[in-house]
Amino acid sequence: MKSWTRREFGRLTGAALLTALNQPKARGQAKARVVVVGGGIGGATVAKYLASSATAVDVTLVEPRQSYTTCFFSNLYLAGRRPFESLGHGYEALARQYGITVIHESAAAIHPAAKTVALNNGSKLSYDRLVVAPGIAFRDRALEGYDDAAMEIMPHAWNAGQQTRLLRQQLESMEDGGLFVLVAPPNPFRCPPAPYERASLVASYFQRRKPKAKILILDAKDSFNAQDLFQDAWNRHYPGMIEWLPAQFTGGVTAIDAKTRSMITAGGTFKAAVANVIPAQMAGRLAQQAGLANRSGWCPVDPVTFESALQPGVHLVGDAIIGGDMPKSAFCANSQAKACAFAIAADLTGSARFPAHLFNTCYTYLAPDDAFSNAISFKPVDGKLKSVISFVSKVEESSEVRRQAARAAEGWYDAFTHDVFG
Amino acid sequence: MRPVARSAIATGLVLLVSQSGVAAETDQGAQLAATCASCHRLDGGGTGIPSIIGLGEERLTNALLAYRASESSNHIMHVIALSLSDEEIASVARYVAKQGSNPR
Repeated sequence: MKSWTRREFGRLTGAALLTALNQPKARGQAKARVVVVGGGIGGATVAKYLASSATAVDVTLVEPRQSYTTCFFSNLYLAGRRPFESLGHGYEALARQYGITVIHESAAAIHPAAKTVALNNGSKLSYDRLVVAPGIAFRDRALEGYDDAAMEIMPHAWNAGQQTRLLRQQLESMEDGGLFVLVAPPNPFRCPPAPYERASLVASYFQRRKPKAKILILDAKDSFNAQDLFQDAWNRHYPGMIEWLPAQFTGGVTAIDAKTRSMITAGGTFKAAVANVIPAQMAGRLAQQAGLANRSGWCPVDPVTFESALQPGVHLVGDAIIGGDMPKSAFCANSQAKACAFAIAADLTGSARFPAHLFNTCYTYLAPDDAFSNAISFKPVDGKLKSVISFVSKVEESSEVRRQAARAAEGWYDAFTHDVFG
Repeated sequence: MRPVARSAIATGLVLLVSQSGVAAETDQGAQLAATCASCHRLDGGGTGIPSIIGLGEERLTNALLAYRASESSNHIMHVIALSLSDEEIASVARYVAKQGSNPR
């Protein structure tokens, strides 16, 4: 099996080049092979953009699940505002329309020196380039007593799916007047505004169905993303319902007692009717096992190509990377994935390179008809991803502007998931 | 205004390129338009986010220049447009104008 080098590719000219680019699948021997491990937002986007932009590359996507459940918009489901099924997206279009080989298996191990990926079913995939998009894992022993069994009693719901359904069931069956405790994680973590959006949307549900219920946020931090916008909205929409306790008051949650649904802090123990425990995070397990993460628990990458700083030939995108100023969000994962796909295509086929454009855009719900947005552009500076320009909604915006943002957010979800999976 | 003939030739080329699937590796406009696709459907579908399909190259160019000049109408588009050079705006407008079910 031979892979294209840029020099070999450069020897081809004119008609020969066009023919080479349009070689049919039967001549797959000559094609470069890219394996993408992880079919979340980052992995699926890399696979789609590589397959659609570089015909000289064979793309294989390894993802155990048949359908991906988006974390974004799962807070609307928790509030009873969106059916669970609307969060699910299959891989059929990626296979059918873009010719991606989708393998529904787990990756067992990565061998960067041999350039192979071992799958759980015993088979092995060879690659010229590997992209790993492993998402997040929870840090071991970050919260004493929060083990697999405890997660079934006090869900994290931070990887969307069964955990999200469990939390919704618990919120629905909670008695009016009950206390919902949300344990918010230390930085950095997946989707900085999301714990506070969750508290806001659960409050909107309580207001309609359980008006005497209360929400307590036990934070590992002393401040949080878009704090002024959230606290303004909590006063306007849900006066007296949401209480936020920063780490300076409690010392943060150190242990969990699942039997009594209790959160233990230096400043006292808090007993919940329903608890949502979001632990401290790190790059997904596969990244840890493959030596792609450094001592921080996250994966250092080149900010232009997203190639691992620790394992050449392996690229990483999404929540698992050390993204500099880029937050861990689905939008950033999608934006990084496109830059990564174009960089790999240029490396493997010798095609033109253009400066990458990296962005984050977030729509965040404060109430079902009140959303705010932000936008940030990024560029690589001295080996790090730096924010260039940043704008966020203002506290004093009119309710009409916020209603429009909530409507735009719905349209964004449709377009964004179409961009990734459509 | 662009000559009709040149526009028609450009349309033909881009259609050929998109069908053969090499657009994004050869065309800066296609790579830039990947950013548009994170919020705007390039097949002309979708609601809630204004469509950018069927607008024509000149309107797209003018819209991006206006977004770049002022934050007032939309801060998201202001940030996007501020990151684009004149050349990049021309190239993405040219590409997007050719997308959708009824490209002009």
